[in-house]
Amino acid sequence: MDPGVRLMERVVARDVGAFEALYDGYHRLVFGIGLRMLGDPSMAEDLTQNVFLKIWTTPDAFRGGSFVAWVSRVARNRALDTLRSKAVHPESEIPADLPLEGALDDDVFSRLDAQRVRDALAKLPPEQRGLIEMGFFGGATHQELARRTDTPLGTVKTRIRSGLKRMRESLGERVSR
Amino acid sequence: MNANADREEMMESVALYALGVLPREDAALVAAFIANDADALREYLDLRAAADSLAHTAEEPVDSVRSARMKERLMARVRADAAAGSVARRRTGPAYPAWMWGTGLAAAAAIVFSVVTVAQDIGVRGDLASAQRRAAALQTQLAQNDRNARQDRHTLTDLLARDAKRYDVAAGTVIVRRDHIYFAFSKLPALPKGRVYQAWVAPKGSKQVAPSVTFTPNADGVAVVALPVDATRVGAVAVSVEPEGGSKAPTTTPTFVRPLT
Repeated sequence: MDPGVRLMERVVARDVGAFEALYDGYHRLVFGIGLRMLGDPSMAEDLTQNVFLKIWTTPDAFRGGSFVAWVSRVARNRALDTLRSKAVHPESEIPADLPLEGALDDDVFSRLDAQRVRDALAKLPPEQRGLIEMGFFGGATHQELARRTDTPLGTVKTRIRSGLKRMRESLGERVSR
Repeated sequence: MNANADREEMMESVALYALGVLPREDAALVAAFIANDADALREYLDLRAAADSLAHTAEEPVDSVRSARMKERLMARVRADAAAGSVARRRTGPAYPAWMWGTGLAAAAAIVFSVVTVAQDIGVRGDLASAQRRAAALQTQLAQNDRNARQDRHTLTDLLARDAKRYDVAAGTVIVRRDHIYFAFSKLPALPKGRVYQAWVAPKGSKQVAPSVTFTPNADGVAVVALPVDATRVGAVAVSVEPEGGSKAPTTTPTFVRPLT
């Protein structure tokens, strides 16, 4: 079981020690997502602070599954909120938030490690990899990706779909539904 | 464009949705498509798992000074909160108002900054008051946007949840999850001017229907509708075409009547 899940059970019971362990175990992931998406260490630090305070004040928001997957989505959505509030893009160019909970079986998520995902990404053609990384971490819509890369919209869609499918195949059974 | 090409295009949009790069206005349309199509749901779950895995690549070593500072700030807040008796506070609501998080927090900081800047640059009390009013209006708007975003998140989550019950109906699906009921239509016929679709609900054990919300699909025939009822008390739902503004009782033959059993 994802160790974060056990720690969250104790956080719900207001165990400060468990919360500290949770922070020690996952703050690098949250900070990293913030840094990749916001591009600024100070903003990533604030985002990390916000995400973990949110976990402490409303631990019931976590409803099971993989803690890693859940906290990653929380961090990404917070970063999207920050991008939106900065008005870097018009509202219509900010992508929709990802559903936060329950929609997926997340148990397998915690079995993945960064190197395996990096390897799967590295196997993609550069034009697919670039779009997928820019899309996930850049807070841009597919239209914005098309503009930034000077690529026809239809091509962007096809490359993203093909790339995600290839990633899924590369990750194999470790990413099951 | 033929039906196969249309479908392929929608499946590409499913991939965009899985990656999280669709604008909000398109996301609801794609969620409705996924909710109505078993193949699309399967592909969405596959691609979403691949997209989620990307987060692993973001993990960064944090320099020790920053890491210690972050932890010190956070734990000071947490220990103070724990000492103050957070359990009681949690029962009466979040310790920090929802608007303080994410958008709200950043917006509040931006507002404070803008107000201070205006004061320094202009130095006129009237202008400051005007800036404060604009800031307050902006803050209200941002708080509303935040609420809308949260509601969207919950709706999309419910529509795609594995544990949701799904009932096929004409042009779409009725989706029940926990105490929520949604209609996700993907092929509703357009209506003449002055006419709307209206939802009806029948309480469990009753054949009498009560009026619920009215709605109109978009140009593609898509509509995602959340019914403002407690699903645990509803025995059946229906939809009929009614005059704009809705009716107190159905005036046309229902498009469908669906028991939720």
